[in-house]
Amino acid sequence: MPDATVEVRSASVWFGHKVALTELSCSFGPGVTGLLGPNGAGKTTLMRAMTGLLRPNEGTVRVLGADPHTDRSVQAAISLVPEDEAVPAALTARQLVRYTAALHRVSDRSLPDRCLATVGLLDVADRRVGGFSKGMRQRAKVAAALVTGPRVLVLDEPLNGADPVQRVALIELFQALGRQGRTVIVSSHVLHEVERLAGRQIVIIRGRLAAAGDHRAIRDALADRPRSVLVRTPEARRLAAGLMGHDVVRGVTVDGHTVVVSSARAGELAAVLPRAARAVGARLHEVRPLDDSLESVFRELLR
Amino acid sequence: MSAGPEDATPAAGAPGPGTRPGPAPSPADPSQVAPAPAPGGRGLPSPFAAVVGYTLRSCLPARRRLILVAICLGGVALGLLTPLIDAESGVSTAEAFGVVAEQGLFGLILPLTCLVVGDAVMGADIRAGTFPLTWLSPVPLRTIAVGRWLGGWLVALLTVVPALTVAVLVAGVPDAGAAAATMALAAATGSAAYIGLFIMIGVVVRRSAVWSLALVFLGERLLGASLSGIAQLSPLWEAQQVYAGLGPGGAELVRDGTPQGWGAVARLALILVVTLAVAGRRLRRLTPTGGDE
Repeated sequence: MPDATVEVRSASVWFGHKVALTELSCSFGPGVTGLLGPNGAGKTTLMRAMTGLLRPNEGTVRVLGADPHTDRSVQAAISLVPEDEAVPAALTARQLVRYTAALHRVSDRSLPDRCLATVGLLDVADRRVGGFSKGMRQRAKVAAALVTGPRVLVLDEPLNGADPVQRVALIELFQALGRQGRTVIVSSHVLHEVERLAGRQIVIIRGRLAAAGDHRAIRDALADRPRSVLVRTPEARRLAAGLMGHDVVRGVTVDGHTVVVSSARAGELAAVLPRAARAVGARLHEVRPLDDSLESVFRELLR
Repeated sequence: MSAGPEDATPAAGAPGPGTRPGPAPSPADPSQVAPAPAPGGRGLPSPFAAVVGYTLRSCLPARRRLILVAICLGGVALGLLTPLIDAESGVSTAEAFGVVAEQGLFGLILPLTCLVVGDAVMGADIRAGTFPLTWLSPVPLRTIAVGRWLGGWLVALLTVVPALTVAVLVAGVPDAGAAAATMALAAATGSAAYIGLFIMIGVVVRRSAVWSLALVFLGERLLGASLSGIAQLSPLWEAQQVYAGLGPGGAELVRDGTPQGWGAVARLALILVVTLAVAGRRLRRLTPTGGDE
């Protein structure tokens, strides 16, 4: 990436016998980039390495050309919104944001309150963050990150705990920051959330880079993976017989009023299934994927 | 949902606990929300003052404050024991106070109070996972170490120093004014060195409270009692020697082989400088973790 602000080169991180990242190379530039991966994939470790909180055992991390672990000056350009629950519970939201602003020598006295207003916490600014819900804590941390005016904003699961309305507003906020030319890196294990948020996505699985590109490329990679779909219908045997002839169907099992259809081409199966049901006069009471958790998606990507 | 941060200000009336905190965040007007930080801030405190303020506000939760108060009240109670020992054993007040000061005030109250404060301002913050908030900033690590120390020392000046001074006054030692002033000096310099030491331990090891306790009771009290080489590097013994060298009736507390009076003050200052230098240096190699890691 020619305009990369964050570059990770062959980074490996291990904690004792546990390997968190394995020769991972990727780069991030201006705009919003989604960092996807199942729990334990190494997203948080990568984010901690990118902000300098840990140094890779092997490989390098450069932010704006500097090592964030050793070069304190580059910390002026980085902000992290960590996922963990740790917050200085005794501080109020206003004190938290003002503290961060003071550490970064922010000169605008009104900026902390404006940032709190931006995340919708101004009216509770004098309440202690220790008494906040998870979503409110995340937003307080987002406000503390915004107040420093970072060129690189790293957000670890920032939408956790947020209700749907707040989720939409935060996504719009991150997108606005990305349009401004800031490098915004957002991690999540929720695929559709990142799809809405980021034009470019990086997928990490078991500490390795599994895929990178825009959301279409990731989706295409997912579309052709084998998938099992559960269909509940009173006409299970008829539907199973109707499906057997289709080449997108790899196998069908029937158990009472339940049909489980497996297919290697999930996208096409979605079109074939209702047509087959109509053809045999089967009423569909329920259709749901059996293995659509992100974990399984990522497992397939890694094959 | 398209306005800048000013327009995102929620309606008046803060919700009570458990209610939703006002309206959802609105997208930012980028130029308003995240301007580049300008150097030389006037409205907000300097980074050093901010670190000290954070230390005072955040690092001493209510439980630790209660423990501090309890230990300090214990110190005053030990001072009240002096006349009782005096009356029971028939020794002079100065001799009785010597026992109380050596075993109780310098041997127990001073190190325990400083351990509670010193561990809170660094080790506990690192263990809790809240230290990255401070670490992830362009503030020099030396400034962070010194700011944390100053915050902790200010707490000590408001707790253990008055407690030990009052203990001298209630003990009924001769020339109480001079004795109290010397005790205040000994407690202030001793706590300064102790908090520096506990900050250093907080940066170097993970279980800093356990290591600090071991250092005080095994290193200083047990080994330091018989090995003057250890006593010379010990805030416990050196603080005691400040009083021994400068306080009226301090001869009861003299420990051979260690500097006394102003020499002990200089030794405590040296311990402080060295421990803070090590802490600042060690912070460079620290990898602060989240609280759940």
